[in-house]
Amino acid sequence: MQNPHPGLPEIEYIKPASLEEASKFLAAHAGEARPFLGGTDTFVRLRDGAWKDKYLVDVKGLDGTAQVSFDPEKGLTIGAGVAMNRVEAMPEVREHYPLLAEAIRTVASYQLRNRATIVGNICNASPAGDTIGACMLYGGVLKVFGADGVREEPLDTFFKGPGKTNLKPGDIALSLTLPLPPRGHVGRYIKVARNKLGDLAIVGVSVLAYPDATLASGYRFLIALASVAPVPLRVPAAEKVLAEKTIDEATIAEAAQIAMDSCSPIDDVRGSAQYRKLMVRNMTRRALTEVWQKLTQAA
Amino acid sequence: MAVAEKQQTVIGASVPRLDVREKVTGAAVYADDIQFGPGLLHCRVKRSPIPHGIIKRIDTSKAEKLPGVKVVVTGADFPDRIGLYLKDRHIFARDRVRFIGEPVAAVAAVTEEIAEKALELIEVEYEELPGVFDPVYGASPEAPLLHPELGTYEYPNFIFPKPGTNIANHFKIRKGDTEAAWPQCAAIVEHTFRIPHVQHVPIEPHVAVAKAEENGQVTLWASTQSPFAQRALIAKALHIPESKLRVIAPFVGGGFGCKAGVTMEAIPVAVALKLPGYPIKLRLTREEEFYTNFVRQGLVIKIKVGCDKDGNLLALENTMYWDGGAYTEYGVNVTRAGGYSSTGPYDIPNVKTDSMCVYTNHPVGGAYRGFGMAELHTGIDQAMDMLAEKIGMDRVEFFKKNCIRGGDVLATGMVIHDVGIEDCIDAVARDLNWGVKEKPSGPNKVRGKGIALAWKAPAMPPNAGSSAIVKLNADGTVDVSVGGQEIGQGTFTVMAQIAAETLGVPYENVRVTGPIDTRYSPYEWQTVASRLTWSMGNAVRNAALDARQKVLNVVAEAWQQDPKELDIKNGYVISYRTEDTMPLKDVVVYGIPKPNDQGWIGGPIVGTGSFMPTYVTGLDPETGQGDRAVVHYTTGAQGVDLEVDLETGQITILKAVSAFDVGKAINPELVKQQMEGGMVQGLSSALFEECKLEKGVMRNPSFVDYRIATAIDVPPIMDTFIIEHAQDDGPFGARGIGEHPLVPSIAAVASALHDALGIRITNPPFSAEKVYLALVEAGLAK
Amino acid sequence: MGYHRITLTVNGVMELVDVPSNMTLLQMLREKLGLTGTKNGCASGECGACTVMLNGEPVNSCMVLAVECDGADVVTVEGLAKNGQLDPLQEAIIETGGVQCGFCTPGILISSRALLNRKPKPTEFEIREAISGNLCRCTGYNRIVEAVKKVAGTE
Repeated sequence: MQNPHPGLPEIEYIKPASLEEASKFLAAHAGEARPFLGGTDTFVRLRDGAWKDKYLVDVKGLDGTAQVSFDPEKGLTIGAGVAMNRVEAMPEVREHYPLLAEAIRTVASYQLRNRATIVGNICNASPAGDTIGACMLYGGVLKVFGADGVREEPLDTFFKGPGKTNLKPGDIALSLTLPLPPRGHVGRYIKVARNKLGDLAIVGVSVLAYPDATLASGYRFLIALASVAPVPLRVPAAEKVLAEKTIDEATIAEAAQIAMDSCSPIDDVRGSAQYRKLMVRNMTRRALTEVWQKLTQAA
Repeated sequence: MAVAEKQQTVIGASVPRLDVREKVTGAAVYADDIQFGPGLLHCRVKRSPIPHGIIKRIDTSKAEKLPGVKVVVTGADFPDRIGLYLKDRHIFARDRVRFIGEPVAAVAAVTEEIAEKALELIEVEYEELPGVFDPVYGASPEAPLLHPELGTYEYPNFIFPKPGTNIANHFKIRKGDTEAAWPQCAAIVEHTFRIPHVQHVPIEPHVAVAKAEENGQVTLWASTQSPFAQRALIAKALHIPESKLRVIAPFVGGGFGCKAGVTMEAIPVAVALKLPGYPIKLRLTREEEFYTNFVRQGLVIKIKVGCDKDGNLLALENTMYWDGGAYTEYGVNVTRAGGYSSTGPYDIPNVKTDSMCVYTNHPVGGAYRGFGMAELHTGIDQAMDMLAEKIGMDRVEFFKKNCIRGGDVLATGMVIHDVGIEDCIDAVARDLNWGVKEKPSGPNKVRGKGIALAWKAPAMPPNAGSSAIVKLNADGTVDVSVGGQEIGQGTFTVMAQIAAETLGVPYENVRVTGPIDTRYSPYEWQTVASRLTWSMGNAVRNAALDARQKVLNVVAEAWQQDPKELDIKNGYVISYRTEDTMPLKDVVVYGIPKPNDQGWIGGPIVGTGSFMPTYVTGLDPETGQGDRAVVHYTTGAQGVDLEVDLETGQITILKAVSAFDVGKAINPELVKQQMEGGMVQGLSSALFEECKLEKGVMRNPSFVDYRIATAIDVPPIMDTFIIEHAQDDGPFGARGIGEHPLVPSIAAVASALHDALGIRITNPPFSAEKVYLALVEAGLAK
Repeated sequence: MGYHRITLTVNGVMELVDVPSNMTLLQMLREKLGLTGTKNGCASGECGACTVMLNGEPVNSCMVLAVECDGADVVTVEGLAKNGQLDPLQEAIIETGGVQCGFCTPGILISSRALLNRKPKPTEFEIREAISGNLCRCTGYNRIVEAVKKVAGTE
């Protein structure tokens, strides 16, 4: 039985002046230092002893981490230190990335979202992360500063397991870029949780879709699932069916069933694997149906 | 007390709370807010990581050497047992641990961080023993014995432990002949219900600070519902003369029973005794709040109930296995309360009840708002719902046919006073549009309505007393001193209203003095059992009557009139005969001068009053029969209108309705606030709450995984109705309401779920998962 | 463990404080500045009792390091009333009966005040959403929602 500390254990707070300095420090203290963004996960893990770092390296405010900007060509770039509410409140985000805004609004509480960051959510790689699905479906690419300079990490290949990613000691995630979604896109995030808001996802289903004349169905559907696999899960087989077959109730049901069969949830204190699988099917069906209705209304 | 009231002004008025301005400005002082300066030491507790085992060895030497550590204590330092009823536990485990989280040692250090490090340096070696994690198994002869010394423990004469077993109390009722009644029943329902452990979840965690002086004085500052009980119990266990232990109790940030009795408060006192001169603070983390603190114990309840063809109840067999946990601070008395109230508010001629408190290797069962009644009603009301269905009667009709009425003889032999439960049922049914099926908000959704009843008596020793002091000030204001605690229920406000009304002064001129301080405040048993409005209210009324009489006597002498011709109105003494008036401020401290400088009459006015019920009798250990088991019952009904999402199993409560017979609402808005808050706490336990215990390990000891209702989960519509059938010995006819509103909630939701789905899901919490998987099992979903 | 000297404004007053690295904003307010109106209910960002405004936005002060607040502007429950005049929200919550034990009240007031500052006429859903991170075990919430509506003029 874990008995968490009453407050944070003794730890040093470091505020480097540059990315190079931060990266060097992190690399030199592998396993005992970590980049510090919003802290909403970090504090909890430090209190309960799951993380035993000695140093928190505050990278908020370093080059490119504090800004969020929208460019009609390049899309949305969210600095690593930018709190979720700031992103959600941007008119451009509500207009062009409504699925992200919708997912953000289901995370914890308003006051926590003033600290929690999208990039932090991604770096911690919780399979339950609410915003990760949206970021993946929008084709998100993470910009990372490391020993060898700056590199790009597409989210589709970024996650390796619960809490495990391609990040190495010394790496600092700088920002996330989401390209402008295709014209006519519609999204939906449905979360099954214990409370109506604020809880962790038992199951989270993100769907993004848009017209695509090159496909037999005329539409591209993208699906991401939270909390039902060791990593945030895409469901290509279901997406394929939705690309190839005429979209109707039966096709949607088939895709939902594939989503259910593709996931590998576990039993935990929040829900059983059995319930999770069933909810993946039901909520994928619900999300696809709602998205499909909006697409056809728009058409 | 049945004094005819000449006029009532502030009784029944919803005056604003006395304590509210402090609370909205952040000025209100709670125990954690008291400043102790640089001498303050921080206490942390080494706890058992296993559910059951023998302590082979404890070595504290390394911890003692850590710089910043001032003292380390273990069970070896404190040999005596402590307990509210059955004295069965040590402040620190000595030879054996019986639940995960049980205190084994404690450290006081200059910072919390150092105290935490010191805990890691304490070495404890255990020999693990097989555990008991189910009360039915625990009561069986196969179960390992958790308290081999049970026969040697001290306990009061209304508790019946069974040495040589794990049964800490066995309460029985034998009334009529159930065996003879079954053949006459046209319908019988038999069902076993399991109600899980839940936590109280006050937003303020437990905190206590203790300081011992060289001269033997000990002071405890604590967030507590029971300053006087803590003084008595801790003093006895630690050999402190009771008068030398002083408990100071500021505002409580939520109690719900968990800050009643002694939970963790003895720990800093024990540590302080080893290190006089230093204030020592123990503040539980939220996680400790969840897994080490007293819980609402689990219950397995087996019910067999039958009625005749017209729906008249004929017989009940009720067997309750309470999961009392490792020790039974309150469990034994919850068991007793569950036993004597085991029929619920139903008139049943033949009753056989066995209510057993069983030791297990689970957290300790404490007092939780409702004191066993929510658990009991979750079983008994669902069984009644099933029986109504089986005999083909509408539930409301069935409840009204069978509910108790004034003059009925209860299962214990007590004759029940006038109760307004029928009015409560009517109020709820009317407000819910009972019998009308509502339309769901969309496809794949269904609606349902449910109703359940509640009753509860103050569960307490027969002689739990109250006292009060009413002191008049030179400016005509009034200070009321009480020993009952303001835990959010508004008791200070209600006491001020009773004092104002009785004395004849404006409400605005009355203060209730806090914090409660056992050195200066008059005695109060505990702030529990929904007993303060009634019991402490009577004491305040008596003290105010005493002060009033003293004032009238002085003025009568000065005016040379009969005190009977005088009255106090709006802060003035008046004579009905001569129409003379005199403001209270001219009388109450300096007295009244005699004419011609011939001396003075009177002096400072202080009224005192106390109250203790003297009429509660014992019950026969074999039959549970006696003249008067309890002081009174508060009764009521609750209904919900809900919607279920058939694709997720998620329940949305659209509307919840409560009606309770409070005798007389001294402050109707405060009564309604109790009804709303209690109802939401009850609905929260119905939908979400459960301590997920696996082999003694609580798997969800934090807000991350122990979810409670938030602002968005609660019914947007909550209607409440006050029914008033006066309590004969209550102040102005009042009786308590603090706990009752959460008692019927789980059963009401279960009833509505059945109405919506047509299937029965009987064991809370009714999580979305549980509902959905039940639909799958019933073939109603895939 | 290192100490840091920071300056910040709390309830309009400039403060200079030496804080250890692991001290949270909550601890600093309570233990260094004596502002005990802000409550510690869980120390993990779940209950909302410690909610304060940091640069105009509500945060769980248990989830912010004190050292991060160098140069910041903080408002706690003690800063809501001005010159003895209660904030309309404080008046409203008294009137609607949205206070019982009072322990969640400071956080509730800050969350609600922040909501009204960014959205003077919120819908009922927006009110419930904005305080869903503030747990209350006493009131059942609806009277708190009523208080916010009252100030917004949407009741």
